[in-house]
Amino acid sequence: MDDQDILTTLKILIIGESGVGKSSLLLRFTDDTFDPEQASTIGVDFKVKTITVEGNNKAKLAIWDTAGQERFRTLTPSYYRGAQGVILVYDVSSKQSFNKLDAWLNELETFATKHDLVKMLVGNKIDKERREVSKEEGLKFARKHRMLFIEASAKTKEGVQYAFEELVEKIIQTPGLWETDKQGLKLSENASDGSYSACGGYCVI
Amino acid sequence: MDAEAIINDYVSAEDLKKYEQLYINQEKRGVINEKTHFDYALCLVRSKYTNDIRKGIAFLQDILQKTNDDQSRRDYLYFLAVGYTKLKEYENALQYIKMVQSLQPENHQALSMEKYIKKKLTHEGLMGMAIIGGAALAVGGLVGLGVALAKK
Repeated sequence: MDDQDILTTLKILIIGESGVGKSSLLLRFTDDTFDPEQASTIGVDFKVKTITVEGNNKAKLAIWDTAGQERFRTLTPSYYRGAQGVILVYDVSSKQSFNKLDAWLNELETFATKHDLVKMLVGNKIDKERREVSKEEGLKFARKHRMLFIEASAKTKEGVQYAFEELVEKIIQTPGLWETDKQGLKLSENASDGSYSACGGYCVI
Repeated sequence: MDAEAIINDYVSAEDLKKYEQLYINQEKRGVINEKTHFDYALCLVRSKYTNDIRKGIAFLQDILQKTNDDQSRRDYLYFLAVGYTKLKEYENALQYIKMVQSLQPENHQALSMEKYIKKKLTHEGLMGMAIIGGAALAVGGLVGLGVALAKK
């Protein structure tokens, strides 16, 4: 992939309760794989994926997948900094994971630095037979908090691609939320420090 | 490479300070719980400074000894691998990532980190050989020059 074609690099964050399928959604999106025995995330995981946006432009997504477990709550807020998009995930078969959404939004409010960042609510695991959260409830919550919304299944692929693409499209449509990489690359070349890393300079805090 | 971003990711000065203070407060009271120990260790291994990373590694080894929980063990081993990778001590890093894999063979984070460490090891090996090779060439050149001069 030639970096010249990249319009921008976007920092995307995935958050939500432990076990709702954050890593499964990510791995379905980036690698098109699904592991029913997916291990819980250690701290934070990172993946890059380039997608085509408006016209022939490309956006490089630097995606940080945070651990949902309580033990990493002290680590994960630092990844909110500079994020332009966030995917907040709950499990449609777990009311408990849905009830925790407010707490996650509070954390986002506290630690995110870009306050016009785009939020996408994803109700995962719609392949499961026993549902505890209806689509209407999810939609209502998303509307109330001005979030995008989709129900998805990392297992069957349904809605996964859409979740990421819609989020990115909305970011691109938000003026001032992103900058082109062209200038960034030039600056980096001038500085010739060679530190222009895979995460587009967003990962150094 | 995905693991590279994890290795090049650093703790903020505020976080390091905050969790150091929590640790110090508990130390003063004479009871340090595992969580506080772990939080501070996690900040330390993600520091830019070698001394901090070494201290973080020592802490992780300490809590690793004390835990009976496989999940905690996995996490500590993984961050020991991260710490040693940051120090460019790839042989040690590889040992720890292999221990993570013995607990969870399919763990994709461990797999990605293992690939990165192995790439670095190979690169260092090649660099080493290049240096030795260069030295051999230089010696060869000098010998050749000597022979040429002697013939004159």
